[in-house]
Amino acid sequence: MSKGYYEFFCPVKVIAGEAALEHIPFELSALGVSNPLMITDKGVRGAGLSDYVITACSEGGVEMASIFDDVPPDSSTEVVRNIAAVYREQGADSIIAVGGGSVIDTAKAVNILVSEGGDNLAKYSGAGVLKRPLKPFFVIPTTAGTGSEVTSVAVIADRKKGVKLPFGSPFLLPNAAIIDPRMTLTLPAHITAATAMDALTHAVEAYTCMAKNPLSDAYAFSAVKKISEHLLEVMENPKDPQGRLELAQASTMAGIAFSNSMVGLVHALGHALGVICHLPHGMCMSLFLPYVLEYNLRKGKIREPLAELLLPLAGARVYANTPPEQRARRAVAAIRELRDELFERCKLPRTLKETGKVSLDLLPKIADVAMDDGSIIFNPAEADFEEVLEVLKSAWDDM
Amino acid sequence: MRIQQLKSQAISRAKRLYVATMMQVVGRALQAISQEDNEIQRELSAFPENFTFAMKVLPAGPGLMLRKAADGSFIFLSDSDGEADLTIYIKHIEHAFRMLSFQESTATAFANDRMVVDGDISSAVRMVRALNRLEAFILPKLVAEMAIKEYPSITLPEKLIQGARIYLRVATNFLSEQRKAA
Ligand SMILES: [Fe+2]
Repeated sequence: MSKGYYEFFCPVKVIAGEAALEHIPFELSALGVSNPLMITDKGVRGAGLSDYVITACSEGGVEMASIFDDVPPDSSTEVVRNIAAVYREQGADSIIAVGGGSVIDTAKAVNILVSEGGDNLAKYSGAGVLKRPLKPFFVIPTTAGTGSEVTSVAVIADRKKGVKLPFGSPFLLPNAAIIDPRMTLTLPAHITAATAMDALTHAVEAYTCMAKNPLSDAYAFSAVKKISEHLLEVMENPKDPQGRLELAQASTMAGIAFSNSMVGLVHALGHALGVICHLPHGMCMSLFLPYVLEYNLRKGKIREPLAELLLPLAGARVYANTPPEQRARRAVAAIRELRDELFERCKLPRTLKETGKVSLDLLPKIADVAMDDGSIIFNPAEADFEEVLEVLKSAWDDM
Repeated sequence: MRIQQLKSQAISRAKRLYVATMMQVVGRALQAISQEDNEIQRELSAFPENFTFAMKVLPAGPGLMLRKAADGSFIFLSDSDGEADLTIYIKHIEHAFRMLSFQESTATAFANDRMVVDGDISSAVRMVRALNRLEAFILPKLVAEMAIKEYPSITLPEKLIQGARIYLRVATNFLSEQRKAA
């Protein structure tokens, strides 16, 4: 089915590859700034990753206005306010975020405050509230998964009110995303696996859900190929910079794909499970991906695109040897095989039961929360509560 | 004025009139169906009393607005001005026309960026499902199957009865409004 209409937008300059960090001073000067505030977390700092950035900048004549390295895994409006205060005190003129999803979301929110002024973040919550460009902003991802460096959304918790504030605006996008293989080289095996499965899910959902379009298809297809070709290789040989770079690029490409064509039921279920059972997002994606694909396939909605994905998932030989009518099923099998390999290598759980953190009686509650998740709108099959519960039951122990 | 210009002006006017009328029909149908259908009642149950939902064509209408009553059903408001708790904005009258003439389903219109939501996204998720279901009720099965993601498993007699009831309610609602106006 050809898409009757679509939109595609990604103004982020991607700076990727060997010695990519060393391009930052030049890119800063091109935007007329020289006094960046670095926002990161203790883990990144402790692993010495921020030092690569500091040295690269310093050698290029740029010193950090300040370094804030205390972003918690679940950031809040209070943290954002504190960082904005540091930015103002130190007279910074730009922001460099070094980290994963939480650091990047926090930095996006800081950029709202330091650009718009004031301390009231809630005022800017919602879609399209921001009306003008913010301060120059660079993102250096240290996990290969979330794709946050190319998405125009952020979520920050307001602890006092007990709510999560969503922000959506093209102005939240960074000016540049810097993908340097050094930043993911020391990522532990289980995080490498889980975040890569998040990226794979972004690509597969972008390619099979309702808002798919030719441009996001191109990014998604190539991202799937890179992940299936390089993930196990990196699991075997974690210090291989080339393999790491391939995964990091795949994550950014999958991010570009899904931020333009959205995700579906895997994410709706994954968000619900994450909130209720406090499991990492990437693991949640891996837990649901095959079962949701099987469900959408049963409903007759994704046979064609899923069959196409067999090529990047399993390679030309398998694709050619599989009769066309079996390719979609074979694609799901390829994802299952990948999960088996990851389970063997780092115990990334394949079923809800295997996590040891989910009990059977929670499934209706998870289904309920998933039904309210924004991602479910774009799932190609209109899933009702009973069907979502069925998917959860098959994800429970793969029966 | 050239004849071509006159023609396209007439088409624009007709389109606007159609959208304005259909907004009324959809609004009243939602009121009727919210009193009858368990599925839709389940979707609406998450909203607080007096919750208002609006659908508006940018930049200046037409639109519709409903308010949740104490008994859990939706009440169609004759005046669609003012702020609602959840508003679905349709970007252009042409997009509204396609949607309300069922050439593009609510879900597809969302996927095609024809609309923007102002309000809580999980409320929007529920309303999109309710609107999808409404389409199934007020359209003949053949058309509905093309227009929506999925045709709900309503057996024909049930659908006929429900559909007829809703049409009837819409019609009587129109009549009583006109009597009031007269
Ligand atoms: Fe994700």
